[in-house]
Amino acid sequence: MKILLIEDERELSQSIVQYLTGENYLCEAVYTYEEAVEKINLYLYDCIVVDINLPDGSGLSIIRELKSNKAEAGIIIISAKNSLDDKISGLNIGADDYLTKPFHLPELNARVRSVIRRRSFGGAKEINFNELRIVPDNMEVHVCDQMLTLTRKEYDLLMFFLANKDRVLTKETIAEHLWGDEMDLANSFDFIYTHIKNLRRKIMDKGGEDYIRTIYGAGYKFVSKIPA
Amino acid sequence: MKLLTRTTRYYLLYSLVVLVTGGLLFYPALRNIIYNQLDENLTDEKLIIMETIDHADSVPDFRQVFGHEIEVTIFNTPLKKKESFRDTNIYVREQGEFIKYRHLWVENTSVRNKGYIINIYKPLRESEALILEIYLAITILFASLLLLLVVVNYFVARRAWIPFYKTLGILRGYNINEEAPLSLIDSNIHEFVNLNQALEKMSRKIRKDFINLKEFNENAAHELQTPLAVIKSKIDLLVQDESLTVDQLKLIAAVSDATSRMSKLNQGLLLISKIDNNQFSLSEEIEMETVIDHTTEHFSEIMSLRGISVTKNYSGPLIINMSRALAEILVNNLISNAIKHNIKGGTIDIRVESEGFSISNTGHELNLEPHVLFERFRKSDYHTESVGLGLSIVRKITDLFRLQITYEYTDGMHILKIVK
Repeated sequence: MKILLIEDERELSQSIVQYLTGENYLCEAVYTYEEAVEKINLYLYDCIVVDINLPDGSGLSIIRELKSNKAEAGIIIISAKNSLDDKISGLNIGADDYLTKPFHLPELNARVRSVIRRRSFGGAKEINFNELRIVPDNMEVHVCDQMLTLTRKEYDLLMFFLANKDRVLTKETIAEHLWGDEMDLANSFDFIYTHIKNLRRKIMDKGGEDYIRTIYGAGYKFVSKIPA
Repeated sequence: MKLLTRTTRYYLLYSLVVLVTGGLLFYPALRNIIYNQLDENLTDEKLIIMETIDHADSVPDFRQVFGHEIEVTIFNTPLKKKESFRDTNIYVREQGEFIKYRHLWVENTSVRNKGYIINIYKPLRESEALILEIYLAITILFASLLLLLVVVNYFVARRAWIPFYKTLGILRGYNINEEAPLSLIDSNIHEFVNLNQALEKMSRKIRKDFINLKEFNENAAHELQTPLAVIKSKIDLLVQDESLTVDQLKLIAAVSDATSRMSKLNQGLLLISKIDNNQFSLSEEIEMETVIDHTTEHFSEIMSLRGISVTKNYSGPLIINMSRALAEILVNNLISNAIKHNIKGGTIDIRVESEGFSISNTGHELNLEPHVLFERFRKSDYHTESVGLGLSIVRKITDLFRLQITYEYTDGMHILKIVK
């Protein structure tokens, strides 16, 4: 899977590249509008992550260029301007998602994964992981071929963990994923704890493995390999 | 009190003082003049009588001549020359009452060396009536002149103050948030021209500062987003390091928590400055029931985890013309507030009518004054970790769309009410 990252802030770009590379993506980074246009005209990507405000042009023009090339790539806008107009015009000209800076890397990764999954033609109607089988279109989760009844937030949480396997997810990252970043609820970490507890119990009740680990002091981790 | 009322009142008061003192001084003066005239007449008559006495032996009946009481008594011995004026009351039998007379009493000796006494009495009634008439006439004239002046002054002043009231009206209706700078109507009165110029100059300066400040706020909040994004991303990477000890992870968690709060704070401030900068001008008809249902759905799990039950009472529909994004933020903040300040096992009661809606929740009484509730960074002691911008954003949004928001605490319920 090839990803093109168009982001002029080098430190942020480096972080994103490092995280996405760790997720087994081939991630290329460019820092200017000009470089970006050159790249998209030469190569094909599965997903393009583009900052709207570039020093020499607008990310929106890159999206228009991509669309005029009939490119199949999924497009995610990242912008420091949480502007509704930008969001609407970005989505209108064909972007798949819009993420406001500052965001957490696992959040971007989950969005990239979901965009690529939605874009990939034909297959990937299901996500399979060991004894877990998920049908995102119907929001169905099966464990050992038994249907699991999850609440909305538990389902979101499971999807988020599956998108970021073997990654430590801080409580802030999970809270912002579940309730959005305008969320200012006290004790939201208690709710995360409760949701995770319930999710683990539900999976294990149907005979699934206990994949979620508490990383003491930091957060939670969905481990893909259970040590024997 | 209106300026015009005050000036008119003072004008009337001073006029009255002038009128009363003038009247008090004028009466004796007038009386003096009339008396002098009277005395002069009496003196003239005296001279005629004296001359008659000098040249004739017998004295005619002067009463017939002058038409009033005159007594002349002639002695054989000479008398010392004396003369005096006085007021006398004399009983007049025919009329059965005392009548006031001006009385000239003269003792003298004629050229024939015979002493005589002349008493001339002139009734004062006519003169006094005259004094009164003149006095009344002049007083009425004077009073009506003053009254006219007061009225004229009132209308002149009212006319003269028109530019002032116009300026005041424009100032009152002026909103610094509006596009156009303050423009006041020209006047041909020097003072008002100066006033308007000073006001316009001042408002231009304030507006410029205000716009600068708004831009600064937005730019500052905006520019902070990128470094925050870098910090967040580095924390996300750092926390993956498996060689970290628990103590190190705790440090990172604390940094992560603080960064997250800073990021929320910054987004709140950015939102406020965007509302201030009118970046949500796009309005549409929003059905609030839908927004509320959507938001309660979003929070349903949190509410059930806390044992909070929601009751909804819709008798709408409530349609508000506003920005959809802000309507969502408004309801989101109100409901998350109702959850945050609720008690375990409490309730949230949502009522929607066609003119407004209210969100009530159980909770402890606030240790804040209700009017500071909507100020920035006001928090109750129970939730020190919250950012403290939620309700001030709510206030900004309601102000922007001219909605009224009220808060009250009754029967253990916090009630926030929003009315069109």
